[in-house]
Amino acid sequence: MKYSFYPGCSMEATAVPYLKSFEAVAHALGIELKEIPDWNCCGATVASGVIGDYPAQVMTSRNLALAEPHGADIVVPCSSCYMNLAITNRKFKEDGHFRQMADEALASVGMKYGGSLNVRQIIDVMVNDVGLDTIKSKVKKPLTGLRVAGYVGCQTPRVFPWEFDDPEQPVFFDKIIEALGATPVKFPVKARCCGSSHSVAQPEITADSCYNIITSAQDDQAHLIAAVCPMCQLNLDAYQDLVKERHKLKTSMPVLFFTQLMAIAMDLPPDAWALKHNIVSPFTALAKFGVGK
Amino acid sequence: MTGFNVSSGPLKYDTEFAREIYSLENGHHIKKCMQCGMCEVSCATRKEMDYSPRKMFLLLRTGQREEFFKSNTMWMCSTCLMCKVRCPRGVPIVDVMHDLKCYAISKGYTERAQAAFYQSFWKEIWSRGKQFEGGLMARYYLKRGWKDIRKDAFRMKDMGLTMLKHGRMPLMPPKSVKGLKDVQKLVEVAKAQLQKGADR
Repeated sequence: MKYSFYPGCSMEATAVPYLKSFEAVAHALGIELKEIPDWNCCGATVASGVIGDYPAQVMTSRNLALAEPHGADIVVPCSSCYMNLAITNRKFKEDGHFRQMADEALASVGMKYGGSLNVRQIIDVMVNDVGLDTIKSKVKKPLTGLRVAGYVGCQTPRVFPWEFDDPEQPVFFDKIIEALGATPVKFPVKARCCGSSHSVAQPEITADSCYNIITSAQDDQAHLIAAVCPMCQLNLDAYQDLVKERHKLKTSMPVLFFTQLMAIAMDLPPDAWALKHNIVSPFTALAKFGVGK
Repeated sequence: MTGFNVSSGPLKYDTEFAREIYSLENGHHIKKCMQCGMCEVSCATRKEMDYSPRKMFLLLRTGQREEFFKSNTMWMCSTCLMCKVRCPRGVPIVDVMHDLKCYAISKGYTERAQAAFYQSFWKEIWSRGKQFEGGLMARYYLKRGWKDIRKDAFRMKDMGLTMLKHGRMPLMPPKSVKGLKDVQKLVEVAKAQLQKGADR
């Protein structure tokens, strides 16, 4: 399985543990990743609000043009990057007017995108390309008894509703957790908002949203939360002190990238777990699986 | 009538303002809204908004220019897409919110913290082709000024140090994109195309 890989800005900084664990897990699953050469920012949820949707999409399309020569579909872990790349790609395929305009813009810098690629979310790739049976067969240390709240977040299931999952109560992420031997808990807020980038300008909004998510996981007796999106993980993990202070919450809730859980269950070397980067300590929750500092 | 804050005087519609809003990239979708309120009950940040998306659309249709510029609605949108997937009329509400943010910034309404954040974020992308948290925060606080720095200093300092300790806050920015000139040119060309389309 070959893919072009779009890591996005956060994987190089705040989401380092995601990058480390994903690369190791991908290698172990036989996924060949080639980073898109000289990729640029997708614009996140912000660029469209400053320069407009179309200019932001044209900026994003440079990444598609750079990836096309490699000839492999693009895998994207970050939900926001996925949203921008996937929507832009879809417009190239289905919106003739957009394509004509964007072609013209790309030509002005000597680039071209033929629309031959698909943009794939990491969960989609894991379930539909790798397959749950393959994942199960690679699990050497099943996470039996570990109760996991699978937090899918907002954009991942909602960019193209029903294309690979339910936009409000997604199920594929729980299937991956199950394949690792762990128990996915009910967790009805699994696709609700984490407060996203309000964490800078109005952190209270993020703290309130994260409080709902953490307490829902606690209500379902989860030992930890598994996340897909770098922003969700950062908000739930780094802002947890603020949540606790603001809402008089006593207990902590570790928040891991799901690829970290995969690395543990597949018994990859501790470097691939990358747990030293987690702010809320996950070691008590994971002690019985031989995970220590 | 249940509200006492509604004047019995005639309501003045500013159709010119409404038309200006309709001419934005996704502005025409506002006309499709049937005021059902599904966005309102789906919104993650509804309780932070002074007007729900539904009410905001009505304000825009009746051309309430001042109310629009005073409101925080579009700045509270976190792009979670719940309203977009649920809207029975297929209004891409999130995309309309993008336009409203853009429009407010272009008219100089940038005093909100969120507007400062958006502008700082964009400056980062524009200047190196990628996002760098350190640069973003520096730009943001330079825009917001001393009062905000003092207000946030403690809270943010602790969090920054924790992230630093866990290796999640690089002090040096990532290498700029080699094709930065291309990125910038693409944006300029696209903006010009959009302008040309709007002028037609």
